Amino acid sequence: MLELVGSAIVLGWPVLVVLFCLLVYFQFGLKDPQVRQRAVFKTFIGIIAALLALMAIENFKVSFFGNSRLVPVSLVLVTALAFMMGIYFKNIGALLKIGGFMFLVAAALSGYGNWLPQVEGGFPPPEVKLDFSGMSPLQLADEGEKIIFGGIGQSRVQGAIGKGQCPLCHGFNKGFLSERAPNLFGIADRSKERLEDPRYSKGNPEARDTVDKEAFPGAGTAETVQEYIAESHACPSCFVVEEFGLKGSNDRESQMPRIHKPPISLTLGELAAVDTWMYVREGKEPPTFDEILASYEKFIPEADRPKAATDVEAPAAGGVLATGEEPVNEIFTKGVCVTCHTIPGIEGAIGKIGPKLEEGTSAPRRLRSPEYKRSPGGGKAKSVREYVTESILNPSAFVVPGFPDNQMPKEFGKLLDAGAVNKIVDYLSQLEEGKEPPPIT
Amino acid sequence: MGGQTRKKLMAIMALSAMIGLLMFPILVSIPALAAGGGAPAAGGPPPDVLAEQEGDAVEEGQKVEMGRDVYYKTEGIVSGLPAPKTEDDLRSYPRYNFESRVLLWFANQQHLYYGSFVLAVPIFCMIIEFVGIMSKDKAMSKKYDQLAYDFIKISITAYSITAILGGILIFTFLTLYPAFFGYLSSIFRPVMHIYALLFVAESGTIYIYYYGWDKMKEGLLKWIHLSMSVVLNVIGTTLMMLANSWIGFMMSPAGVDEQGRYLGNIWHVLHTALWNPLNVHRLLGNMAFGGGVVAAYAAYRFLSAKNDEERAHYDWMGYVAMAIGVMFLIPLPFAGYWLMREVYAYRQQMGITLMGGLLAWLFIIQATMIGILFLSSNYYLWQALGRMRGAEKYQRYIKYLVFILVVGFLVFITPHTIVMTPTELKAMGGQQHPVLGAYGVMSAKNGGINVIITTTVLSFIWYMRGNKVPIVPWAKFGDIFMGCFFGLAYLNIIWLAIYGYYIPANVRVGLSVPQVVTTLSCLFFMTALNLTMLKGAKMSGPIEWGKISVRSQYALIMLATAFTWMMGLMGYIRSSVRLFWHVNEIMRDNSPWAYTHTTGFAANMISFNVLFFWFTILFVFWLGTLGVKKVPVEAPAPVPGRVPQPAVGH
Repeated sequence: MLELVGSAIVLGWPVLVVLFCLLVYFQFGLKDPQVRQRAVFKTFIGIIAALLALMAIENFKVSFFGNSRLVPVSLVLVTALAFMMGIYFKNIGALLKIGGFMFLVAAALSGYGNWLPQVEGGFPPPEVKLDFSGMSPLQLADEGEKIIFGGIGQSRVQGAIGKGQCPLCHGFNKGFLSERAPNLFGIADRSKERLEDPRYSKGNPEARDTVDKEAFPGAGTAETVQEYIAESHACPSCFVVEEFGLKGSNDRESQMPRIHKPPISLTLGELAAVDTWMYVREGKEPPTFDEILASYEKFIPEADRPKAATDVEAPAAGGVLATGEEPVNEIFTKGVCVTCHTIPGIEGAIGKIGPKLEEGTSAPRRLRSPEYKRSPGGGKAKSVREYVTESILNPSAFVVPGFPDNQMPKEFGKLLDAGAVNKIVDYLSQLEEGKEPPPIT
Repeated sequence: MGGQTRKKLMAIMALSAMIGLLMFPILVSIPALAAGGGAPAAGGPPPDVLAEQEGDAVEEGQKVEMGRDVYYKTEGIVSGLPAPKTEDDLRSYPRYNFESRVLLWFANQQHLYYGSFVLAVPIFCMIIEFVGIMSKDKAMSKKYDQLAYDFIKISITAYSITAILGGILIFTFLTLYPAFFGYLSSIFRPVMHIYALLFVAESGTIYIYYYGWDKMKEGLLKWIHLSMSVVLNVIGTTLMMLANSWIGFMMSPAGVDEQGRYLGNIWHVLHTALWNPLNVHRLLGNMAFGGGVVAAYAAYRFLSAKNDEERAHYDWMGYVAMAIGVMFLIPLPFAGYWLMREVYAYRQQMGITLMGGLLAWLFIIQATMIGILFLSSNYYLWQALGRMRGAEKYQRYIKYLVFILVVGFLVFITPHTIVMTPTELKAMGGQQHPVLGAYGVMSAKNGGINVIITTTVLSFIWYMRGNKVPIVPWAKFGDIFMGCFFGLAYLNIIWLAIYGYYIPANVRVGLSVPQVVTTLSCLFFMTALNLTMLKGAKMSGPIEWGKISVRSQYALIMLATAFTWMMGLMGYIRSSVRLFWHVNEIMRDNSPWAYTHTTGFAANMISFNVLFFWFTILFVFWLGTLGVKKVPVEAPAPVPGRVPQPAVGH
């Protein structure tokens, strides 16, 4: 609080000085005692209001992109000053009170928005080059689980979701809710029955009463279980399971997108991984990678097949180090931050190569320091959060005096997901000298 | 032919010529539009990229290539370039040392606020002017006319600000998102020109309408004046629909192939899956928003009034604006429901991202906002009962309405699932809590909001009856019938909400229809019945305009601020649902800002936009007071049995 008052004074001292001079002038320059008393009092109110306004601006500046949960404090400060001014400046009292009330409403709504759990949508998934053809069935199945659920072992967690977005509509475990699309537990066995369903019209696509008769002209229908699965992905409206059609379409059209097209755009290799997982997790022998590929090639013409990323290099170790799902101490360990930095509250983080990370205290100091402003790396941060983010993503933007440049890796932007970076920033921003570290989340 | 008649004829001819001139460019451009406006040109400003793409196109020869419409699935001749593939560089995304998306968000939102306001106000004026013309009471007729004039006067200053903000918005697009805006304008080239021409027509019409007010106040000229407001609103609504087609295209593109190449059918590009629901939703939203802004203006004038006459006038103005706003607020949730249905029908993932995924918390805020809007409206009506003699008989029941509204509100805002960490999920044993998981499902929420709306209707009916006692012979029967109707309506809504728990989801969705029908029945049938019962009713006292509490004016300001905030929120949600696409599934956003902000950041940004809008519009209000030299037209002193009454509800 005192720090905020101090920063506010630094920000707007000329205004305060002018008001103070006015106060002195009114006190000693005006002859009529009544006029003098009124003028002095109103100027005094003006000084308080100006200070509140400056505090609001300063808090807003620091918090807008940083700790945004504190922004409503600015709105409350303006509310207070508007009502206070409204009482004493009666000629524009109505306007000030209305303005104050609006700030109060906005503060309440902003506060509410900040009080709710903070969900942030990360960047679109990075395109990672993986060679699916050289993988064993178990490796393929692991990749498949990642595509469907976002991670290995996530298939048992309800709500887990990956690039394929399948769990948005499909259930995968026995007994899990699956109201929008069929539960895919036991799909391998059920596919045999589907192939024999008269509505499927095996071998006779023209007889189908669906929006799409075939995946593309001449594609025909599936003959095997794997082909059935491939056709369901490539042409969801070629056969729609009863009760799961688009509303009003009488099960003639599916609500599922073609999975190889945007927005999901799975490559054939990724589709093979997904299918392999569906067999393996039920203890069934999956078809070979080439067999699965052939099944998809039957239903997806060459021109429609999404290309695997070729010009994007896979991050080290084949993927990101952390996504933000992990507890923050695990992210520090995976990022090997603990080797070089001392981080209060993190077990084993006693490194001395880099500075001790108590950013709640040190970052504001550094931001104000002339070294930061003159930094050859071009530090651009305005708030603690921005500073910490900048230090992770672009360590050379500002190097703490006394420590050498180019010691810290510059690839954390690629190695850590936005969620993981945010988690680190959250934690470090709360660390202050002489205070207990925040709980690990 | 008398001099007066000749004068009138000349005036009519001059007006017709003016309107004809204004519409001429549009009429000329229609054939070009019907022909598809020719092939769109460049796909985006980076000139070297364009030159490269054009070069490729020439090299590929002049053969006709066919493409398949991503939405209509029809074949069409490819007559445009693909959507540009952008990179995170200064060619696609030139920038300042600040987040470009936030700058664009600000410019867009301000333009939208002012645009909504200036499109809504002429509709108000049209309604009020018409009511004034139809009114048999000359004093009332003048009063309505003055009110309509007051409304349009406010919107004239706002109109020029809208145009300025439109310019700022276009410059922001051009300078910060040149590739994207280039692509969009290449697809919508003819539509954008027509938009600009319509804007000229709108400006011309509004100025004639405003400045011709006094000259056209009698007889046939008054009717011509009124019909000009119809022309004005037709142009305004068309403008809004054209602007909606751009956002409709960004959310649910049509008329282009998978690469984003235009296929020559401009109607397909306009008429996307979400265009019509967006049009209806925005039109209703603009009206409710406009009502809120004018009500806030009236509240401001009421609170700063120097005498009783002014207070009475602005009390009445606030009431009329609030009534019109609420009239359009009531169907707004249903229009929103239609929009969401269409979103789900278009892309289920999009619907889930909105209602059950990344943006679900914002919908919790929206539910809260809807509750606040209805609570504020009810509070205002209850306060308004205080200025009527004889309304005490209803005031004692308000506490029960408060109870019903609060319960409905709490049910409506309760979330069903919340985003949790895997550890929390494990601790709870699944996504749904074994007990709390039963709360917050759609069935209950539908019940909650319908109860809130029905209660608002009931408050309104009580307000209409506040100072009147029906004297029709069947009054007692009418009262009992009305009581039973409302009682059964509540029972039906609540019963259906409970029944929804016991049936599958796909059947449950259909239950919302009888619930909505019940609510709308209360609104239409009971209002009609009430009006019939109140014909020739005995007055227990006049409405003492100006005697309403100061608190009620803050309820109006609350209504206006909350509505502005909700507009900002819903606009953000609608825009965010595209996630990392400029044009959904066609043109990817590769800027450094292709992620979705946190709920808190969005809330702060919305608050900033709302406060900036109100700061500027309060300035406009203040400007409006500078020119006021006299008290608005006064109605004769109210006497029992002949009370000046607002247009709506009486």
